Amino acid sequence: MNGVLLPHYLAVGAILFALGIVGFLARRNLIVMFLCAEMMLQGVAVNLVAFARFRGNLQGQAFVLFLITVAACEAAIALALILILYRSRRSLDVSLWQDLREAGQPPIVDEEPLPPAQPEEPLPKLTPAGLEPERREEGSHV
Amino acid sequence: MTEACSILLPVGLGLAAIFLLLPRPQPYSALWGSGVGALALWATGWFLVRLAAITPETILFYVFSAIAIVSGSLLVTQRNPARAALAFALVILSTCGLFLLLAAPFLSAAITIIYAGAIVVTFLFVIMLAQQSGLSNADVRSREPLLASLAGFMLLGALLYVLHLHYDTPPDLEPLLHQADECARRFRDVQRQLDRGSASQKELRADLEASANAAEKLQELAGQVSLSRPSWAGRQKPLHDAIVDLGYPLAQWRATVTMFHSKQPIDADWLTEPLAEVRKALTNLANAHTQLGSLPPPRNVLLSNLSGPPANLPPNDRRRGDDGGPPPLPAENTAYLGRSLFSDYLLHVELGGTLLLIATIGAIAIATRK
Repeated sequence: MNGVLLPHYLAVGAILFALGIVGFLARRNLIVMFLCAEMMLQGVAVNLVAFARFRGNLQGQAFVLFLITVAACEAAIALALILILYRSRRSLDVSLWQDLREAGQPPIVDEEPLPPAQPEEPLPKLTPAGLEPERREEGSHV
Repeated sequence: MTEACSILLPVGLGLAAIFLLLPRPQPYSALWGSGVGALALWATGWFLVRLAAITPETILFYVFSAIAIVSGSLLVTQRNPARAALAFALVILSTCGLFLLLAAPFLSAAITIIYAGAIVVTFLFVIMLAQQSGLSNADVRSREPLLASLAGFMLLGALLYVLHLHYDTPPDLEPLLHQADECARRFRDVQRQLDRGSASQKELRADLEASANAAEKLQELAGQVSLSRPSWAGRQKPLHDAIVDLGYPLAQWRATVTMFHSKQPIDADWLTEPLAEVRKALTNLANAHTQLGSLPPPRNVLLSNLSGPPANLPPNDRRRGDDGGPPPLPAENTAYLGRSLFSDYLLHVELGGTLLLIATIGAIAIATRK
């Protein structure tokens, strides 16, 4: 086959879409889940622009403009919701909201323990240069 | 069977790679996952998207697609959400590169600004506001990695199979289409000779002989194909009709050429009409081949031409005219997109604006502290 043809671009769009689905289903961080949803939309955009190119008219590109409009609205609302959920439970884990699952489904229980956190590397101690100014105990002016 | 393998191999390798790389408390070594992922990427390029020509366009296509797929995998498998957001920005930039290859410069600029500019920055702000200290459940664990990977990659396999069914030329038609190209070249030679008018009889006779031989071979191949393929799927019907319609013009051309077989002087008037017919039949075949997999709207529907030529015109009628036709891409893409939005899609633009307004109000209403 000579030249890049329509099915090649459609294959790329399909791969991005499938990766988005895997990420959305597998990840537990709300933000990463949403980024995977946005990647699905990007795969669809590649498909639409490829169709516009190979059909010779601009309908696909107009559709993509409305797609990114809707994606931007969705991002705004989703991020507002994520902030609210974070404030409620102080975590971005979607498994904390498992009460919303289907009736009859067993809950997901974490069996493997997390690996112990690596101790933070201490900040490097530098030799002080010059004199240290006197500190006044008044409180912050800010 | 090899068709199934050419889809199963990249999909299976990709499935294994993503499954190995998904975050876990006790992760598999990243080397295994990356190695299998690299194999999967190579298999995709080799089996699925094989391109014979090495032009700047194909090299750029490979580069942008590879970066998009690798960044997509990074987004799905990175533990750190900030790194995932940056991988998403890389996905956006590489798909915008693909848009540039598809002659959509306005969209590539707009999507870079909106996604990689605004949305990724917003995500990074939210990540900073919702920062976790140390490793957290949300980042290190995956929900059902095996089932999720299976779901995604089975869908990918089904999509690639449908693409293969619709868009790949059936292998038993390859010799026929090759021979049709050969015939078209011979007929072009004959046409050139006739147009020149003062061609020598010997040259003309030689060209006629060559074209008649090519026509005979094509007719034979067309007959073989009709015998070996009793049923054609609906979407391949135009190709089937084009092959069947080749029969009569080819036979007529061969009959006309045999009229001048003996040393009679060749009369150009006898040749023009059969030549035009057979060239038209070959053009129809080429069009049907390029339209393989397309599903254009029915011919009798009146479609607007403000966004470019209507999709139900035959391909060689979509020429550039004053009131329509494809715009000179990509220089005037923005102008024509604007014209299309403000004529064909005016209502959609207004509704999009309303949606944005409502989303802004909703986001502010949700996010402010109650």
